[in-house]
Amino acid sequence: MADTAQSMETIRGKSIPVARTPGPPLSRTVAYAIMYAILILGAIVAMLPFFWMLSASLMTYGETATRKWLPSVPQFANYVEAWTEANFSKYFMNSVIITATTVAGQLTTSILAAYAFARIRFKGRELIFGILLSTMMIPAMVTMIPNFIVIRGDIIPLPGGTWLNTLQGITVPYMASVFSIFLLRQFFAQIPWELWDAARIDGANHLRFLIQIVLPMSKAPIFTVFIFAFIGAWNDFLWPLLVTTKDTWRPLMVGLWTFATEAGPETQLMMAGAVIAIIPIVILYFLTQKQYTEGIATSGLKG
Amino acid sequence: MNVREQLTGYLFILPAVTLIAVFGIFPIGYAFYMSMRRWRVVDRGFVGLANYEKALGDWMGALLFAAGFVILLVAYMVWDGLSRNRESNPWLRRGLPWLLVAISLVSIVTGWNRMQAAGDPRFLNTLPVTFYYAIGSVPVQLIVSLVLAYILFQKIRGQEVFRMIFFLPYVTPVIATALVFRTIFSPRETSIANRFLTFIGMDPQKWLFEPRPFLEVMFGIKLQGFLAGPSMALVAIIAFGVWTFVGYNTVIFLAGLGNIPKEVYEAAEIDGANQWQLFRHITVPLLSPVTFYLSLIGIIGTFKAFNHIFVMQEPSARGTVVTTSVFIYNTFFKAAQFGYATTAAILLLGIILFLTFVQTKIFGERVFYG
Repeated sequence: MADTAQSMETIRGKSIPVARTPGPPLSRTVAYAIMYAILILGAIVAMLPFFWMLSASLMTYGETATRKWLPSVPQFANYVEAWTEANFSKYFMNSVIITATTVAGQLTTSILAAYAFARIRFKGRELIFGILLSTMMIPAMVTMIPNFIVIRGDIIPLPGGTWLNTLQGITVPYMASVFSIFLLRQFFAQIPWELWDAARIDGANHLRFLIQIVLPMSKAPIFTVFIFAFIGAWNDFLWPLLVTTKDTWRPLMVGLWTFATEAGPETQLMMAGAVIAIIPIVILYFLTQKQYTEGIATSGLKG
Repeated sequence: MNVREQLTGYLFILPAVTLIAVFGIFPIGYAFYMSMRRWRVVDRGFVGLANYEKALGDWMGALLFAAGFVILLVAYMVWDGLSRNRESNPWLRRGLPWLLVAISLVSIVTGWNRMQAAGDPRFLNTLPVTFYYAIGSVPVQLIVSLVLAYILFQKIRGQEVFRMIFFLPYVTPVIATALVFRTIFSPRETSIANRFLTFIGMDPQKWLFEPRPFLEVMFGIKLQGFLAGPSMALVAIIAFGVWTFVGYNTVIFLAGLGNIPKEVYEAAEIDGANQWQLFRHITVPLLSPVTFYLSLIGIIGTFKAFNHIFVMQEPSARGTVVTTSVFIYNTFFKAAQFGYATTAAILLLGIILFLTFVQTKIFGERVFYG
């Protein structure tokens, strides 16, 4: 009460500009207690499935069906079994190669295209860019079926006949991304034109300017695009599910799914596989969460 | 513009544009082509609009159904236009939009009944399922994330850590987390969802295996047809959707909160507004563009959603969890009806284009900070 009276006094006396009215200390404490309670409850709900995943992955098969929250003796052997016998080592390596190929391809095509859309004048530039942007709202369900037929080799003759169960079949359709082009173009457009004029006087062409001047300046946005591409490729499920029928190139997500449907009740092994599947993403996220959430916030708001 | 410069430009965009043309644009046209053919694994020839007729049943019904939604949009635009114009007749201003809403509802219901009488029930049933999924998940995740973002914005200690925790479900691979939710909502008495129910004194449920409506099972409210609401299985899937997307919405809301000028709050505080009034009369209205954006993105997202629903669907839940996307996959991959599956995909595309149009229409007219 005294506090409120005092701040009213300051307003009436028109002394220094009033900052936030602190309010009575007791209700302030209560308000903070409630806010923390909500946050902590939210955090528990957000983390509980991860806790359960980790905990169940260390249980015996019998324990997963009881009311236990923690294993009595952690069964680290579950991970060994999942890695070797359930073939997760194979799936993991496949995912690493698929993700690396996709990300490398996507970065290359996107950097080149974004540079051209931002800094080279050519006929139809805006029109082509607009058409590319409009494809972003097309749901994957529409393009999926024709793409499947293309990759199976039915429409255009593909080198090697069919691309089902091949690395190129899984990765090539994802080697260009309108979203990546869009993000990079925003940044490239802001680079001062004086730099290009200076480089041109020195005899540089666009490719040299891009590699020697633009790329070193654009580490931050390229890194953001890299994170998005990596997470997208690693988490992808539907497309590799369609185009893999054998283990040869089956990535981790599809492997995890087939294991869960075929092995049925082996919950602890499935959980170990799930932990293996999320670890690279969790590590990447914790290392880069600042860039990532900022990227989401800016691109999300711009729509 | 010299020729060399132009050629360089085309050369630079060539790889990306070729790939997007082949895997992003060509398939749209080809999907149209396929949808007009009888195509089961291999092409068996042109059938015209037969696939569409099979899905929708009745052309007049489909037309009325679609027109209903267009009228609904018109009602919004009329309301928006009239409420700006203070000169307009108050009866007209209030009455006309409601009249249009009533007409649109009649049109939707009539169209729907006609379609149901003759169309493919497996396809048509996916529309209310997707609708329940959208209506069940989007408002809940918006409210929760608005509250969380508002609290986090109060310069609270540990803000970064909380934001990181809330966001984690959104980044982690859906297949892995959806499989975890499958065990959480399994019909076992010892599953985590059932442990919670027994803890608060209720009976364990069959969750993902339960096709009966949520309202009937939990509260004994028996309603018929569309009003019966989502099944228990769909509610479990909705819970997963909310869990995943709250973090994303929180981050966007936080960015939106950061865009509200501090001076507005300071002015209101000097006028003696309390915390609730600040929230109600400044934060909520100034955030409304962000809220609109997130709700439309959320609804469009539910029509595109596939992975987690696919992983969490159980045969015993029958059609009650099959959204349009899952139906397309099932028709394509399991039933190998390529032509019919692309027909459903084109209809889905129509719905998404309409929603995107609504989104741009509403955003085009609203100034930021509207």
